[in-house]
Amino acid sequence: MNMIEQPRNFTTELAVIGSGIAGFAASVFAVNRKIATALAGNSGAVAYTTGYLDLLGRLDGIATAVTDPWEGLLHLRQTQPKHPLGRIAVADLRAGFDEFTSFLGSGGIAYSRAGDRNVTALTPAGTLKQTLCVPATMAAGPRAFAARAACVIVDFEGLKGFSSREVVANLGGRWPGLAAQRIGFPDMARGEVYPEVMARALEVPATRERLATALQGVAGPARVIGLPAILGVHRPDRVHADLERLTGLEIFEIPTMPPSVPGVRLRELLEQALPKRGVTLIPQQKVTGLGFDGDGATLDLRDSYGPIRIRARAVILATGRFLSGGLEAHPDRIAEPLLDLPVTQPAGRADWYRERYTDVRGHPLHRAGIEVDAESRPLGRDGRPCSERLFAAGVIVAHQDWIRSRSGAGIAIATAYQAVGAAERYLRGSSGGLAATPSLNRQVVVPGE
Amino acid sequence: MAAAIAAGPLRRADRTKQMAETAIAPLNFKEAALELLPPGANFDACLTCGLCSSGCPASGIENMDPRKFIRMAMLGMDEELSTTPWVWCCTLCKRCEYVCPMNIDVSQLVFLARGNWPQDRKPKGIARSCHLAQLGDSTSAMGMPPDDFAMIVDDVLEEVRGEQPGFQHLAAPMDKRGAHFFVNQNSREPMSEPEEMVPLWKILDRVGADWTYSSKGWAAENFCMFTGDEEAWRNVIKKRVDAVNDLGCQVWLNTECGHSYYTMWQGVKRFGLDARFRMDSLITWYARWIREGKLPIDSRWNTKGIKFTVQDPCMIVRKSYGDAIAEDMRFVVRTLVGEENFVDMQPNRSANYCCGGGGGFLQAGMTDQRRIYGKRKFDQIAATSAAYVLTPCHNCHSQIEDIGRFYGGDYGVVHFWTLMCLSLGILGKNERHYLGPDLRALID
Repeated sequence: MNMIEQPRNFTTELAVIGSGIAGFAASVFAVNRKIATALAGNSGAVAYTTGYLDLLGRLDGIATAVTDPWEGLLHLRQTQPKHPLGRIAVADLRAGFDEFTSFLGSGGIAYSRAGDRNVTALTPAGTLKQTLCVPATMAAGPRAFAARAACVIVDFEGLKGFSSREVVANLGGRWPGLAAQRIGFPDMARGEVYPEVMARALEVPATRERLATALQGVAGPARVIGLPAILGVHRPDRVHADLERLTGLEIFEIPTMPPSVPGVRLRELLEQALPKRGVTLIPQQKVTGLGFDGDGATLDLRDSYGPIRIRARAVILATGRFLSGGLEAHPDRIAEPLLDLPVTQPAGRADWYRERYTDVRGHPLHRAGIEVDAESRPLGRDGRPCSERLFAAGVIVAHQDWIRSRSGAGIAIATAYQAVGAAERYLRGSSGGLAATPSLNRQVVVPGE
Repeated sequence: MAAAIAAGPLRRADRTKQMAETAIAPLNFKEAALELLPPGANFDACLTCGLCSSGCPASGIENMDPRKFIRMAMLGMDEELSTTPWVWCCTLCKRCEYVCPMNIDVSQLVFLARGNWPQDRKPKGIARSCHLAQLGDSTSAMGMPPDDFAMIVDDVLEEVRGEQPGFQHLAAPMDKRGAHFFVNQNSREPMSEPEEMVPLWKILDRVGADWTYSSKGWAAENFCMFTGDEEAWRNVIKKRVDAVNDLGCQVWLNTECGHSYYTMWQGVKRFGLDARFRMDSLITWYARWIREGKLPIDSRWNTKGIKFTVQDPCMIVRKSYGDAIAEDMRFVVRTLVGEENFVDMQPNRSANYCCGGGGGFLQAGMTDQRRIYGKRKFDQIAATSAAYVLTPCHNCHSQIEDIGRFYGGDYGVVHFWTLMCLSLGILGKNERHYLGPDLRALID
């Protein structure tokens, strides 16, 4: 009876592999559709997000940024018919953004709704970018820039990765009323100071009061203050509102370089909110085995405690690209490691990159990925769906270069929306259908026999 | 316990003196790191993004942080890493690995570094606790012999039977063969606050548990792991495993203590010991007994709406069971204090911060560094505005009390067993040490 490692078994209707924005969004859409869901995946690129949710900010061959992303999508459809964003109805795209941002808003991170045009938002370097949805804590920045309001950008002693002087140096030419100030963060030990640490400290009301006093001291005649993104991790909207109340100033956040707070915010919110809605969450663990049989799919992984096996009727693969392990670069080829799905890729390694890193055409490697059909099902080597139970979402899908097109969140949310829709159709149509009431598929540690 | 065994070998004044003693032989960290890595992993995968350092309360202490530690290891800065006292400030909590997109585990290198320090240079509090645990059969880090433990249990039991109505037949069996549960006991209670053993006995009595203490291997602390001395860690765990096997118990039930569970569970696996029993945490059994109706606690006593938060001990949540036990713990707390009176810390569960009492930090004599580390925990607690922190871990308990006093916090720290007995109306007069006036007022 040597019972050191106890394998734990979960059964669910839908298993989502990957906890980036695509995997999280898929889980949100699934629970909203009352599909019993399990989510497994370790932290990946979501940790590095700015917090902005981009749809489409750049188009190949066009020098200017995209200000109307919906018009840009029409262009994309014509010029890149295989692009994942070109394969989803506009109404679905809007619905996906609205559904995802509503979920985040209910958890304390309110977002602006997807509008008809992009928002001109500030970057950590004081440059500008086009994005679709902006967190409420950052919304006053684009407004102040548009109005060229007198504004002070404040940074902190010991903080790396965000410099108010840099922001002003890059943006001051177009924003004459912009000034830079540096202050010490209240009660912070000297040395390197991290945005996450400041954000946690600002969840304490007394720290907010002391920071408010310091901000009032450097605001001068300006009524608007720009800060690095530090206004709390948990429920930043509340921290933001309280700091505005205490200072009597309008305050906005600017994203910082990693390690930054917006990604931690999203992850912690979703990792708490999804289990409350019944999702089985296996946080920060990679799925190492995935197989299909006549009755369903089996996922294998392990956490600190031991092996875990998940049985699911359908699976969404949202494992991302190289950083998250969804794609692997081998000396001779790009591979998909979980199922060895065929990866559309340049003919040979010599073709992965162009000669110049900054080539405006981008690099062929960045468009590598798996192929999917109209029902979001990954295709096997025979060009047919690999499994009727398998769906894919996120940037693992081929024919897009999300960094250059500023469309990472857009691809994640749109493809997750499509994949969940397809998975739902499959689950409702296949034998058994969906349970009328989703089963509570969480498993707790049950001591005893 | 902290006060009893704390020492300050690493105070700056002492450090210079010690330099003349035993030199620390540099360890080849890069080589060690490469050996430790799981298949397919490599430190080249480190993006130097800093999520580890950003999420580590020990960052900046002794001018070190996890990212810097890894980078220095890769650069071959072995002498600096072999001698930095930061290895005694890292609490081995594994939060860096948890948030790392590449799952790089700094704590394994820190563990090696600790083991590489000469015995006479290790923090005396940790080293002495380990030494004492190996001396006798008790495995007590405070050196309490088996006979003393048995005598104190008897004395306390006799007192309760005589003075507390309804408990004339309360039992605290010792060395009962074939009992279902082998219950361990943190030395802090029999050594310095024996009355704190009683609430758990009452709970075990109420649920009708078939349990026993053991005169051998009874203690629930193991600082040998924190010294980095694998042999000593194994020795202590071996005695405990033998003790449970000898009594033929089915479950080794770990009391409200974090690291004792981890060192046992991990030690059995690491050293391939023949443990013929399950290893369970008391928390999962509290939850089960409540669900089964054996432990009829509720929150009706909390008429003033007193607010509580809960500390997830790293050792039983992030490092062992994962979120499942954190959910059990929340189920117990919500039942006990009322859903509306429970406020979660942020972050929580597997993402929670170590309090700064773990990894032997509380015993290392590095008070200033430990309190700097604990500031993040203090902020987390302050943000909840809770009047009390519940935690099933003695080190968390002591550290959270200490930082509360140091930073001017207005909260108390309570064991689960105390509040459970309060809810059941069976908390003895002398078992109320950790209750503040607000809680006392509800039952006096």
